[in-house]
Amino acid sequence: MFGSGLLKGLAITWKEMLTPKVTIQYPDEIYSLPDRFHGRFKLDKDACISCGMCVRACPNNVIKMETETVARKKRLLKYVMDIKYCLFCGFCVESCPKNALGYEKDFELAQYKLDKVPLVLVDEEPLPPEEKERLEAEAAQKIAAAKAKKEASGGKDKGGE
Amino acid sequence: MENIFVNISGSIRELIGVLGLPPLFNEAVMITVKVTGILLFIVLNALWLVYMERKVAGYIQCRYGPNRVGPKGLLQTAADISKLISKEIIIPSGADKILFLLAPVLIFTPPLMVFMVVPFGQNMAAVDLNIGVFYFLAVASLSTVIFWIAGWASNNKYSLLGGMRVVAQMISYELPMVLAVLGVVMITGTLNMSDIVRAQENLWFIFAQPVAFLIYFIAGVAECNRVPFDLTEGESEIVAGPFTEYSGMGFALFFLAEYTNVMLVSFMAATLFLGGWLAPFGLTIIPGWAWMLIKVYIMIFLFMWLRWTYPRVRVDQLMGFGWKVLVPLSLANIFITGVAIKVLDKMGW
Amino acid sequence: MLRTEEFTLNMGPQHPATHGVLRLILHLDGETIVKVEPVVGYLHRGIEKLAEARTYTQVIPYTDRLDYLAAMLNNLGYVQAVEKLMGIEIPERAEYIRIIVSEMSRIASHCIAVGTYALDLGGFTGFMYPFREREKLMDMFEMISGSRMTHSYMRIGGVAADLPEEFYPAIKKFLKEFPSCVDEYDGLITGNEIFQARTKGVGVLSQEKAVQYSISGPTLRGSGVNYDLRKARPYGIYDRFDFEVPVGEKGDCFDRYYCRIQEMRQSHRIIEQALEQLEELPGGPVMAKVPKVLKPPKGEVYHEIEGAKGILGYYVVSDGTTKPYRVHIRRPSFINLDLLDEMCRGWKIADVVAILGSIDIVLGEVDC
Repeated sequence: MFGSGLLKGLAITWKEMLTPKVTIQYPDEIYSLPDRFHGRFKLDKDACISCGMCVRACPNNVIKMETETVARKKRLLKYVMDIKYCLFCGFCVESCPKNALGYEKDFELAQYKLDKVPLVLVDEEPLPPEEKERLEAEAAQKIAAAKAKKEASGGKDKGGE
Repeated sequence: MENIFVNISGSIRELIGVLGLPPLFNEAVMITVKVTGILLFIVLNALWLVYMERKVAGYIQCRYGPNRVGPKGLLQTAADISKLISKEIIIPSGADKILFLLAPVLIFTPPLMVFMVVPFGQNMAAVDLNIGVFYFLAVASLSTVIFWIAGWASNNKYSLLGGMRVVAQMISYELPMVLAVLGVVMITGTLNMSDIVRAQENLWFIFAQPVAFLIYFIAGVAECNRVPFDLTEGESEIVAGPFTEYSGMGFALFFLAEYTNVMLVSFMAATLFLGGWLAPFGLTIIPGWAWMLIKVYIMIFLFMWLRWTYPRVRVDQLMGFGWKVLVPLSLANIFITGVAIKVLDKMGW
Repeated sequence: MLRTEEFTLNMGPQHPATHGVLRLILHLDGETIVKVEPVVGYLHRGIEKLAEARTYTQVIPYTDRLDYLAAMLNNLGYVQAVEKLMGIEIPERAEYIRIIVSEMSRIASHCIAVGTYALDLGGFTGFMYPFREREKLMDMFEMISGSRMTHSYMRIGGVAADLPEEFYPAIKKFLKEFPSCVDEYDGLITGNEIFQARTKGVGVLSQEKAVQYSISGPTLRGSGVNYDLRKARPYGIYDRFDFEVPVGEKGDCFDRYYCRIQEMRQSHRIIEQALEQLEELPGGPVMAKVPKVLKPPKGEVYHEIEGAKGILGYYVVSDGTTKPYRVHIRRPSFINLDLLDEMCRGWKIADVVAILGSIDIVLGEVDC
């Protein structure tokens, strides 16, 4: 019959009017984010070995990393993500060999000022030259000591042979 | 309770009467008071209806609708209106400036004029005009002209298309509406709205004239430019029709006028078909004017329910439906009504 | 003598019904269409060119941005093309996961197609109900990949990670509810007489024309051509599932729309079967053993899959380095848009919207 579809539509909307609503009232109710959520990045500074895998994995050159080498060890100085170019593909997190890079469950990344947009995860001053020299001398000493020890023990081994 | 408004009006009249001014002046004051009252009623209702529409839409669409501004979001419309007032009114270059600004001012006039003859309750029509129905039909269709003015003055192709659609649509739906109302008028033999309501003491005309009611309802939806006949606005086709270029308060006035029109058509439906202020089932405990409002709001809810369920028809389908279905149907209705009146008359009813 | 003139109306790139930034120049006679000129390119980002400066893996996030409504399917097309080029066999488990997520993506895309179609015809509520179901799918995608729209979930050689535990109850709940939701769309939109009056017999696309212009997807099947790559040339493991290919009769807007509704039901069936078979599989890796740095051998490959909008093809040329020499994408939306002018002629403005909606284009894909 003509019109039965019209009435059925009315019945459906009437039924929906009485069913519970699906809205999540955002600032009051917080939507529970899943574990894998791609949100704000976090970096475990101590775990990071400054290998630069994340920089190379990034398709959009978002990550800027600055390091200094002190006593043959890389030290992370700056780790800045220019979030406005980020695709949130997660390749950087996936490529991290030490699982130092990860996500926070935070999606509120909007900023009022443009200069606040880049996400600064590490920002440290380079070590002062004296400190650097001291550390390097220390390391050199250690290496020398180890070498001497090794030579000594090595000599013994050889002697045994 | 029943006569509360009539009594208030009476006491105001007495109060002025004490002053000993000429009777013409008294009349003028009374009319001003009534007009102000109606204006207040209309504006408040329009604001409420915007809120109600958004709530109904929200609930139908599995969401809450406005619920942030004020308790339960009740102040949302007020906030929106104050925002719109503070907006700049942009007049497009090449627009007919005078007509462009005149249209939103005029758009409120026809519904306001018609409300003067609407019986809100027993003895509660501001002017108890003896050709009330005729007056309603004549004045309400004036808004066509104003929509057309808005569409033409904007100097925008979408507006122009919208304006053309308004004219085509309103003219083709005015006719079945008039013919449907004619069925009621034939039974009562009067054009006075209060008398029409009184004639429904025993039987509401929705039962005596179901086809006429249906035609009136459909034509009413088309008159108000609401879904499924909202071709004038048709936001997915012609952006917003005649209102495309309007910003700020100009737009808000068109918006509020739409709701005023809805209210008007609902009031007319309640008066002509639903027994006006008459209480059903002898429930006189609720005063007549409250019954009127209840009936009006049931009608308005129906309008909204339709709007949030149906898609829009196409312009040629709309015209075809009007001229090929509604007009013949209403003519047939008149014919049958006429025959029935004659037959029943002969049988001595 | 009364003289009439043609009337040119510029529809878009900012218009509520052009599904993004498509611009249509309408030549009108009153409200009747004389000619339609689609103007594309407002969302052109040069993804094909960008791909040349990225490594093979790094292209994946860019494929998400083509048809962003069905990102998983775009991922699938690209990774399968590269796998074909390199001759990588992927683990069984990954195959099943791919099928599940890409069919979910298809449902999500069709939800939008159906919803926006209702909106184009003026029914706002018909727009909200499919979006409600799409939201549920988005939640599940978020569980799987961490993103709601641009998932970048598939990898060359498998998928990024196994399905999480929390996903299984969610998808089961969804699968249980979904058929009744489709019934709701049927009741509210399909069965509505006004909707049928607006769509039946409008914008008819004949079988011959559709084949000639290499139209694909539901737009082709609406015209009565039974051609679905999942059946015609099964890729992945589609030959293991039992499903039907819905086909229209007349090739009008209604048939194209209804094909999508029915395809949602079929996709639902595929997911059900895939989930069942996946649960019987023993746990295992979801990535094949691929080197960290991908260097496909010199050569070229063309691979096509059945996307949500039609046949989605990836043409990848390798010069033996880590970066593709050329990537070309056959975008179904772009090709389906070709016949718009022919379909619209003689109809009204309102029908242009209806016909455009029934083709179901995504501007990210048209402009690439």
